[in-house]
Amino acid sequence: MPEIKVTPLGAGQDVGRSCILVSIAGKNVMLDCGMHMGYNDDRRFPDFSYITQNGRLTDFLDCVIISHFHLDHCGALPYFSEMVGYDGPIYMTHPTKAICPILLEDYRKITVDKKGETNFFTSQMIKDCMKKVVAVHLHQTIQVDDELEIKAYYAGHVLGAAMFQIKVGSESVVYTGDYNMTPDRHLGAAWIDKCRPDLLISESTYATTIRDSKRCRERDFLKKVHESVERGGKVLIPVFALGRVVFATPGMLHAGQSLQIFRKWAGNEKNMVIMPGYCVQGTVGHKILSGQRKLEMEGRQILEVKMQVEYMSFSAHADAKGIMQLIRQAEPRSVLLVHGEAKKMEFLKQKIEQEFHVNCYMPANGETTTLFTSPNIPVDISLGLLKRESAIGNTPVNNDFPLSGTAILSFRLVSPEQALKELGLGEHQLRFTCRVHIQDPRKEHEMVLRVYNHLKGVLKDYSVQHLPDGSIMVESILIQATAQSEDQGTKVLLVSWTYQDEELGSYLTSLLKKGLPQTTA
Amino acid sequence: MWREPWGGRLSSPPVPGAKARTAGLRGACGSAKKTRCIMDRECSQLLPSVCAVLADSRQLVADDTFLEKFLDWFKTLTETESSLLLLQENPCLTELITCVLKLKDPSSSTLSFILRLTGIFAASESCFQYLQQRELLISLFGEVGPLSSALWEEASVRSGWVQGVHSMVQHQSALHFLCSCGAIEVIFTLQGDPSLFVASAANQLLVHMLTFSLQSFQTKPENIKDCDWPICAQKLIVHIEESLKSNSASRIKQSLKLLTSVFGCCHDLWTEVLWSRLSEPIVYLLEEEPVHAGHSLVDLFLSMARSPVFSCPECSLWTSVTCALEHLNPAQVGRLAVGVLKLQECPQAVKIQALSVLLQPMDCVLKAASQPLEYPGLLNRSVNDSATVETLLSCRSSCASLLCQTLTHLEELQYLTCLPVDLPHIPLLQSVVTILQFCIGLATPASCLGNKISRILIGCFRVQRSALDILGALSHWESPSVFIGSVFDILLAYLKSPDTSPTVLKKSFQATLKWLVSLSEAPSSKDHWQQTEQFLQDLFLVLQKRLCSPYWEVRDSALEFLTLLVKHLREKEGFRQVLFSSEVPKLTEDLLEDPESYVRASAVTAMGQLSFLTHLISKKPGVENGNVKEKSIVAQLKEILSTDSEGFPRRAVISVFIDWLREGHPDVLKDTEQFVSSVLQAVNSDLDWEVKAGGLELAEVFSAQLLGRLGLAACPYAAVLSSATRSTHLSESLQIFCQVKLFEFLFGALCDCDRPVAQKACDILIALKAELCDESSLKEGTSAGLSTEARGIAWLEETLRRWSSCAKPCPRGDADEAGSQDPNGVLLVLRTVDLEGLHRSLNRSSDHIEKSPQSLLQDILATVGTLEENEADCY
Repeated sequence: MPEIKVTPLGAGQDVGRSCILVSIAGKNVMLDCGMHMGYNDDRRFPDFSYITQNGRLTDFLDCVIISHFHLDHCGALPYFSEMVGYDGPIYMTHPTKAICPILLEDYRKITVDKKGETNFFTSQMIKDCMKKVVAVHLHQTIQVDDELEIKAYYAGHVLGAAMFQIKVGSESVVYTGDYNMTPDRHLGAAWIDKCRPDLLISESTYATTIRDSKRCRERDFLKKVHESVERGGKVLIPVFALGRVVFATPGMLHAGQSLQIFRKWAGNEKNMVIMPGYCVQGTVGHKILSGQRKLEMEGRQILEVKMQVEYMSFSAHADAKGIMQLIRQAEPRSVLLVHGEAKKMEFLKQKIEQEFHVNCYMPANGETTTLFTSPNIPVDISLGLLKRESAIGNTPVNNDFPLSGTAILSFRLVSPEQALKELGLGEHQLRFTCRVHIQDPRKEHEMVLRVYNHLKGVLKDYSVQHLPDGSIMVESILIQATAQSEDQGTKVLLVSWTYQDEELGSYLTSLLKKGLPQTTA
Repeated sequence: MWREPWGGRLSSPPVPGAKARTAGLRGACGSAKKTRCIMDRECSQLLPSVCAVLADSRQLVADDTFLEKFLDWFKTLTETESSLLLLQENPCLTELITCVLKLKDPSSSTLSFILRLTGIFAASESCFQYLQQRELLISLFGEVGPLSSALWEEASVRSGWVQGVHSMVQHQSALHFLCSCGAIEVIFTLQGDPSLFVASAANQLLVHMLTFSLQSFQTKPENIKDCDWPICAQKLIVHIEESLKSNSASRIKQSLKLLTSVFGCCHDLWTEVLWSRLSEPIVYLLEEEPVHAGHSLVDLFLSMARSPVFSCPECSLWTSVTCALEHLNPAQVGRLAVGVLKLQECPQAVKIQALSVLLQPMDCVLKAASQPLEYPGLLNRSVNDSATVETLLSCRSSCASLLCQTLTHLEELQYLTCLPVDLPHIPLLQSVVTILQFCIGLATPASCLGNKISRILIGCFRVQRSALDILGALSHWESPSVFIGSVFDILLAYLKSPDTSPTVLKKSFQATLKWLVSLSEAPSSKDHWQQTEQFLQDLFLVLQKRLCSPYWEVRDSALEFLTLLVKHLREKEGFRQVLFSSEVPKLTEDLLEDPESYVRASAVTAMGQLSFLTHLISKKPGVENGNVKEKSIVAQLKEILSTDSEGFPRRAVISVFIDWLREGHPDVLKDTEQFVSSVLQAVNSDLDWEVKAGGLELAEVFSAQLLGRLGLAACPYAAVLSSATRSTHLSESLQIFCQVKLFEFLFGALCDCDRPVAQKACDILIALKAELCDESSLKEGTSAGLSTEARGIAWLEETLRRWSSCAKPCPRGDADEAGSQDPNGVLLVLRTVDLEGLHRSLNRSSDHIEKSPQSLLQDILATVGTLEENEADCY
């Protein structure tokens, strides 16, 4: 039976590093290749050894697709392509390709700057990796090979973010990456057509949240900034990602410019730091967000944080409502949740199964979900079986009607006659009927006789009969006259023929439509 | 209710023993790294509260990195100090385990964490007994523990259980415990776990258990059946044997994987006994039609073949390898063949067979494109059933992948220092060229197979890339002119073709470069040079076109190729002639203004190389050089350095300048001081730390050159200068350093917020201090009555501010009264700043405090209750 297999190496029940392996009709695709911001060792990258164990990566993987430029979706890409040795195609949208190297450079800088690491991907590797990238346009169908095709849809998460449809033959999977269903000031809402994929792999960061309006958050944000500035303070907004407000990097206050400024401003209660996103453990950003106010800095100095600390996220993820909306839009046959926390996913999973009556999966990292994708086959159920099931109280529930019976499938080529005989069925005939109006004040039977004589004269090689019931037969074509009650001068001829005699039927109709010759009168 | 027993601990004094011990150790160790390995007083104080949080199911520790890092810390701790002492001095740890065990509804992450933590402690035998006495091990790892709870459904719990057991198996007591509590059977089941991570961890655990239980088993028994193997090992071997004989493909694969790891990590004699016991069912697997576990068998044989235990030519392993080379599918066998060819110790006959296996697909391709009698082919006789290879080559789904694998394996062989067998490189080269011809429709099929291959390969980028890789690698063989001609033809065809994708084009450039470099270096290079020059003329025509490509990837690859070409062939006059008679230099210069920053950077690097040649060529009378305005190149690059908004081109410029300075570029030699001064000035205001680091390297090269020129560099063979001459030279060089504002730049970089910049500046300043501030010069400073107290960054920043704001003399007569141009003032600053202290602190990574266990424990405590609102959502 055809199957689709999904194994998250990252983003399975967590919001760490997205890296999902999809196997569809014998094709293997890697969806995103992200890094985990919380680790500085081997754990920061997905464990690719699970794919390299059966030989070369390039032989195993047909392509890599990157949904957007955030590092938890693309941060491991140069490592994967230039150090692990993947040499196949990589797909992303044009804006993602343009912005990706900037973020990767930033990431490399922090790693080298902060840790002084030498065994890390270099600028040249980032460039070489980006040269392997094939940039795609939205809604453009890309033929990866003879069988595998992909198509990008607008995801609205950040500039260039895309959802991808992966299709092999009649089987298809849609991967949303991160997406947002509510338009904001510079990004629109995610959109996908009713592509009815076998599987929709959706992010679920806000699986249980219904987000408030972004305008309220914007108002609060501006208010806080204004208040701070009005009382003579300064506002620091450390950021680590492009696509939103860009102020000073890095975003978690763990090195460089933003930390430098933070140190200078932290002691003044008039100042304010607004953290626009999540900070990993160990960073100054994390510490101040969790309320720590005395920080031990380098050289054992204690830095007292008197400035105001605010958390204000403008991240663009679909909330629970948005996720449901996308499912409604795409009408998948099953859903798989990634990029979220297990407990929240569990809640959403139930909601999805309840509302859409489709299976919903949420594999942990390393767990493989296998879906069998048997195509829908309409089956004629015998009346006897239906009656028997209803007699024992079996009725449809939520469009599901489980029935037990024997399916008879036979693939033989036989003549129609033999098929009728074997199935015990009679032959049905399909006839076409056409009305032809003829101007003739005479009586009906006289007019029929004129028609008969006319046809007999024209169709010398055909069998033309005048039947006792007053109708005319030309081969299998039947012609009957009927009176037009409103107008005695107009007679109506009904011409009826089987589809096998379509040619002759059409000819007769057109002949009669020309009217009867005067000479026969 | 669980917070209570620990609530009081926060304020209670830490265990006296711990305090004394840690204090002593800290004093002894000193370094930050060592300090982290010891449970210090602060951590001991924080630990009870942290354990309370972890044991409270109502508390949320949503970030799993906390727990991971917590475990990392304990792993380090237990490696450096007694685990038993750790548990005794921090009873909260045992209480945490007990408490989680009692929880009705622990979270899966907490339970997994506890399993792993307990395993880490139980690795020590004394600690194991301690936990055993409290029945904690049986409750966690026995049948009544998590194994029988609903949470066992969670992969994280199973994973924690396996990892806990793995950590624990460091002594025989643990093995006995596991054998008696039924854990081994659980591990057998987990080998087939739906989670890849759990299954893999279970397999690794069994490997560890087997090797550990047999590590003392060194002697080779006469009779296999007589050997008295430990019970645990016996159980495992019976399980492996049964799995190998089962009909279950997954069980067979698991066992083969397990054996692969065992033979890979353990080279004791007992492995030979193990093989003699298991070889029969394994060889039987090879005889099946078709062979199901091909990849796993290849892994097993390779791992065994690399073990010295099996290297003897009479070993039965080689019979199995021969059998595998014959029976395995061509798509699977390549890896085995190349692995065998890389072995040091291996019977020659096996190696010859392995090579034949690798050459067979190439032979088929070659024959598919030639008339039957026209070419002898790669193989004298076919070792395998060539029909299978032909079937795979004629099928769309397998052809490209078989060829890619074969080409990659053959390429690997080219890099071996010594090939153990004769490689028919000329027919191989021809077969590679034939594949490349097939891929662009240039080959003439000579058979039905040829027709099929032709249809499948046309436009196949994967095969094109692999074939170009090996084509480049084959350049190191001496080839007759006729074949060089065919290589040049196919390379030109790829370089010219508009259908060539950017990635394939890059590979074409790489292969071309390898052939050109190889031909220029070969002893017979003169014989081929005419042919090569003709090729170069065609090549530059193509290169001109590629430099104008609408794709930045193509322009960039073309520039990178040009740079390397110039670097390697610049000594060849013929090359220079062809280069400068083309439009390539002009086009390269134009690309300095490319909209794509990557391309601008590559153009800068290429111009850096070209500019060496323009000087060479312009010196020759009669050579017209109207294409490159070499005078303006320095100015152009300086402009890029100060104005380009992107980092890549600026970094490229500074790299070029460093090269120029090192190699004595004529433009630099004209006025080196002025050149260095202007570059440092531009770099000083650059925000990119790598540009600054480049500037520092330039400063380092410059100072070393200057000191060397004046005979001041520390060279053991240099003539010893008299002290008077030395002093004169020192003051001369100092004067020059001040003129170019070297110290202003270096001190500024020392204050930089980017650690690598500050670190490098510090290194250079320390070296300069050693040269310039010798004893005699120091006298001068002290006689002036200046303070020699070491000063830090704040003081230096203040001094620099004064230097930069104005050159006003300071009435206090302090060191900072002198400006950056004044040698005495600079020397005083150099002596006053605590460079050694800064060097020590800069050598530590900037996050060493945040990474400390105290920081982690504080973060866990501080995060409780706040995570819900600040959850991960920013990406």
